[in-house]
Amino acid sequence: MNCAEMIRLLEQFVDRELSSTEAFEVQAHLDNCPCCVDIFHFETAMRRLVRRACSESAPPSLRDRILSGLHTESDP
Amino acid sequence: MRNNPNGAALTASDEPLPGPVSGFGFSDGEALEHLDALYRTALRLTRNPADAEDLVQETYLRAFRFRDRFAANSNLRAWLFKILSNAAISRFRHTSHESADTSLDDMPEADLYSRAVADGGLEMSAEDELLSAVLDVDVRRALEELPEPFRLAVVLSDVEGFSYKEIADMLDVPLGTVMSRLFRGRRILRRWLAEEARPALTRPGGTAA
Repeated sequence: MNCAEMIRLLEQFVDRELSSTEAFEVQAHLDNCPCCVDIFHFETAMRRLVRRACSESAPPSLRDRILSGLHTESDP
Repeated sequence: MRNNPNGAALTASDEPLPGPVSGFGFSDGEALEHLDALYRTALRLTRNPADAEDLVQETYLRAFRFRDRFAANSNLRAWLFKILSNAAISRFRHTSHESADTSLDDMPEADLYSRAVADGGLEMSAEDELLSAVLDVDVRRALEELPEPFRLAVVLSDVEGFSYKEIADMLDVPLGTVMSRLFRGRRILRRWLAEEARPALTRPGGTAA
């Protein structure tokens, strides 16, 4: 596997969507290519950034609103 | 339809409800365990708290209305997200003219990465540097600027961790469409991040020192 092939499969690799054979090939390439390791780190950092940025909790009032809406709906 | 409770719940709103069936349904508490996840996804889709709350409430109302059709051994979280996605998409159709046909330039992925990684001055330790250099509020803004179909795919995959197959089932689109939306959405984010990270990392007094 060359760098271009690694990049083509990288997202699916990070998403754990590759077959075990393909994942093994990507991993083997990463073990021997520092450039691609940087790219891999950039890709995983981006996922972590997105996850961290999207970690809000619902306001407590929303839970109450949902439950009261539910009871209004189920009591004809 | 009764054999496919996941699909039926979203398409058969005028049908009379079936009676309670053993092996179907969920408790209020089980459904509400997913409130925070649904809310943050709704926030990304609507871009404001009031609309996000309305969207989540609508999602739960629909879910509770059709709870007898939910097979108890299937994935409640995915089912709730499917309802949320459908509710959101029908809202977007009414209120937005956003199109997925955003033109993307032809820069090869490898060049984009080399810009981000090499030109951005990122090295092996880049992951932590990047994480401390970029603000959550800016990431949220970048996400919210993605065209809606890309944004939804990215949030469902990167934030909520659904598989391509789960997302395809949720959105009723082929697997290839999910991958294409996901990759195009991430590509826009990657370009943004490459441009965002460089000044952040080289700013005087920044975290790169």
